[in-house]
Amino acid sequence: MVAIVIATHGDLSEALMGTAKMIFGNIDNVAEVTFKPGEGIENLLDKYQTASEKLEDDHILFLVDLFGGSPYNAASRFVARQENMDIVTGVNLPMFVEVLGKRLAGGTLEELVQTAKLAGADGIKSFKEVFSHQQIANSAKEDEGDELG
Amino acid sequence: MIIKWLRIDSRLIHGQVANNWVNHVGAGTIIAANDSAAKDDLRKTLLLQVAPGRTKSYVMTIDKTARCYKNPAYENLDVLLVVETPKDVLRLMDQGVEVTQVNVGGITFKEGMTLISEAVSVSPEDVEAFKELDKRGVKLILQQLPNTNASDFMNRLKSKNLI
Repeated sequence: MVAIVIATHGDLSEALMGTAKMIFGNIDNVAEVTFKPGEGIENLLDKYQTASEKLEDDHILFLVDLFGGSPYNAASRFVARQENMDIVTGVNLPMFVEVLGKRLAGGTLEELVQTAKLAGADGIKSFKEVFSHQQIANSAKEDEGDELG
Repeated sequence: MIIKWLRIDSRLIHGQVANNWVNHVGAGTIIAANDSAAKDDLRKTLLLQVAPGRTKSYVMTIDKTARCYKNPAYENLDVLLVVETPKDVLRLMDQGVEVTQVNVGGITFKEGMTLISEAVSVSPEDVEAFKELDKRGVKLILQQLPNTNASDFMNRLKSKNLI
């Protein structure tokens, strides 16, 4: 099972983990890393090192909040020389949840990266836009026949 | 139709079901069998958009679900079936749907109900329906998520002095 490090400014990583547990119960092989005021890249590198030693797989997907932010920059240094690691930025709940689901289904690192990019973006919608394009379910014929639909 | 998993859950299709149970039980199709949701255009639309793209999902009345169950065209279809109440399970069985096991997952608390677990409450009417399911030999399992504890639901009702 690919390991995941979720790294953000402040406590967001821990909060995302707590929320994801509502959907998945206990979640194995994920480490949360926080980045607090007063800390620097070196602190993050230490935290990534500690986290990676605890994780059970040497394939690691980093999910970080901001492209170009310190959690990302530190992860870039950490991952640069590793072929079995990657980073996806813009972590949000839709991304995290879909990645965890894909991982349960045996997803590889590359597959999890694709899932993260798609789900992270696809989870952002406007109600009005969705409903102007979406065919509203029609219950008029609902209770007829024996075909699914 | 092969019912891989039958779950009682007032929220029908939501994150726990769409992202977790469906993968866990290996079903490609989710059916929410519920009369009021099937007849409510907005609720039906909202339920259908929860399910991930790789899963087919349907919201249908109990009667129609039972008819589809018997349609030979779906003989090999692996289904995760979600209903709102134990009474709906009885209605499906009365129409020929074979049920050996039910996962009691989530029943939202309303006034007059007794809290059984963090996620499950029961009304006196639910208790009667669960007793009937038990009498028919259906195994009732209290479990919220695939990796959380599973316990015997009838024992739980006994421990709460409800039966």
